[in-house]
Amino acid sequence: MYNEVRVFVENKPGKLSKVAELLGKAGIDLLALEIADEGQFGVLKILTAEPDRAKAVLEQAGMTVAFNKVAVIEIPDHPGGLLQLARALEKAGINVTDAYGCILERGKRAIFVVKGDHLDQIESAATEAGLRVLQELE
Amino acid sequence: MTGVADITGARFEWMSRDELIKWQSEALRRTVAQAAKSPWYSARFREIGLDPSSISSIEDVAKLPFTTKDDLRLSYPFGMLTVDPEEVIRVHTSSGTTGTPTAILHSRADIDCWAELMARCLAMSGATRSDVFQNMSGYGMFTGGLGLHYGAERLGMMVLPAGPGNTARQIKLIRDFHVTCIHATPSYAMHVAQRMLAEGDDPKSLGIKRAFLGAEPYSEEMRQKLQELYGFKVFNSYGLSEMNGPGVAFECPEQNGMHVWEDSYLVEIVDPDTLEPVEEGEVGELVMTTLRREAMPLIRYRTRDLTSIIPGECPCGRKHRRLARMVGRSDDMLIIRGVNVFPSQIEEVVMRHKWIGGNYVIRLTKAEALDQMTVQVELSRSEFDGSLETLRHLRAQLQKELRDQLGFNVNVEVLEPGSLPATEGKAKRVIDERN
Repeated sequence: MYNEVRVFVENKPGKLSKVAELLGKAGIDLLALEIADEGQFGVLKILTAEPDRAKAVLEQAGMTVAFNKVAVIEIPDHPGGLLQLARALEKAGINVTDAYGCILERGKRAIFVVKGDHLDQIESAATEAGLRVLQELE
Repeated sequence: MTGVADITGARFEWMSRDELIKWQSEALRRTVAQAAKSPWYSARFREIGLDPSSISSIEDVAKLPFTTKDDLRLSYPFGMLTVDPEEVIRVHTSSGTTGTPTAILHSRADIDCWAELMARCLAMSGATRSDVFQNMSGYGMFTGGLGLHYGAERLGMMVLPAGPGNTARQIKLIRDFHVTCIHATPSYAMHVAQRMLAEGDDPKSLGIKRAFLGAEPYSEEMRQKLQELYGFKVFNSYGLSEMNGPGVAFECPEQNGMHVWEDSYLVEIVDPDTLEPVEEGEVGELVMTTLRREAMPLIRYRTRDLTSIIPGECPCGRKHRRLARMVGRSDDMLIIRGVNVFPSQIEEVVMRHKWIGGNYVIRLTKAEALDQMTVQVELSRSEFDGSLETLRHLRAQLQKELRDQLGFNVNVEVLEPGSLPATEGKAKRVIDERN
């Protein structure tokens, strides 16, 4: 299981720049970023190779940060690359409700990031299907 | 006033009601005679045809005229003074925001009496000379600072006149001198706790046993929250500069209403419109007459504070009646869509929510001629679990509770911790942008 960094932000211009600036200055690379928004406030969801340092840097700057567990599964980056994992999850009878994919190396490696419940089952299903579950991102 | 120098007075707290009323009647007679020496009251009495000597018991109080804040302004600075200005050793003015200030002038006996009344409050809380007291309240014209200071010294506590602000230093002093009692506004006490928590520190580790909180209205829920955070016992204090300042009414360890020192203040609760007394237990405007003031006695002063007398005797055994928590100052009452709302009603709801930090602001605006209320709260750092759904749910819950409490829809905004202005003195909770 992997730690996704979550940041509570008021929905105001400049908030995203602040996060980008803080992480940029600290030399922290972002792999993926999502914004979930409720109108007046929202939650930034950040996937990075250095979640602990990212959390510390943002907290130092007074931001409100929490970790959220996700399963990160490596898949090949080519057409149909998701199929093997999707079949494995289907076989295990797991519904995926919140997930996204992102490329690590174009044409070679990608990751599929799954959130929500049953992460243990998802990880074992992926492992059984011969896929790598990542505990670290580089 | 001669003859009342003896104020060593816990004995008054245990007197039977009959004895107390007898004392009050005598003190009222002296007060009216004393007041008649001032230009203001002598003119006022003449105007209504009142002979000061016709006042012989507290039953006669209805014959006396009310005194208002405006009267204090009109008689500023010396109009209500009954003694030679040379006898005055202290002046407290309140500038207000409306222009002409008001002034309360104290003789040596008045200052002495005030210190004693305050010392009685602190002693009632269980504090003794072995306690160490940090006064985090403003000194200067604000009566909260000097009032508590003199009272604590009179009791013989070790006093640290820290004043407000500089939170890091406050915390250091508390630790270095093993402070056991503090005096602060509730909002500042909350600010210190939030600051410590944000820095990974625990307010309980300070080891404070008692906190004397007052100077601004706050809810029972806020008290509970502070008690949980610090592990101390909070004692509510009520006072107003016109009646000296603090030392007017204070809680005993029962924490159920504030005993008002009836040997020093004659208390009435009246309907603010008709000025007729309300039934015991009903909410009305608190009206007070000083019973020991020498330099500047005030008669039937309309405090504009709304409260009630808690019926029945206190289990602590003191005979002085208890004032309920102030509902609000009649000036603080908001009229929103024709509904009377006190900020304390909102605080009551907000403070029930653990996910909210101590700070909040009520913002009033107008949209299409209709009043809109927005309550801004800060998310408590430690309560964020990363989930937007959780926050959405909590906000909806708070909105629902506010609607149930007030009867109209309230918008809730959840802000990042530390984004509302920190308060060191009296908190400004309401921002009215309707005009």
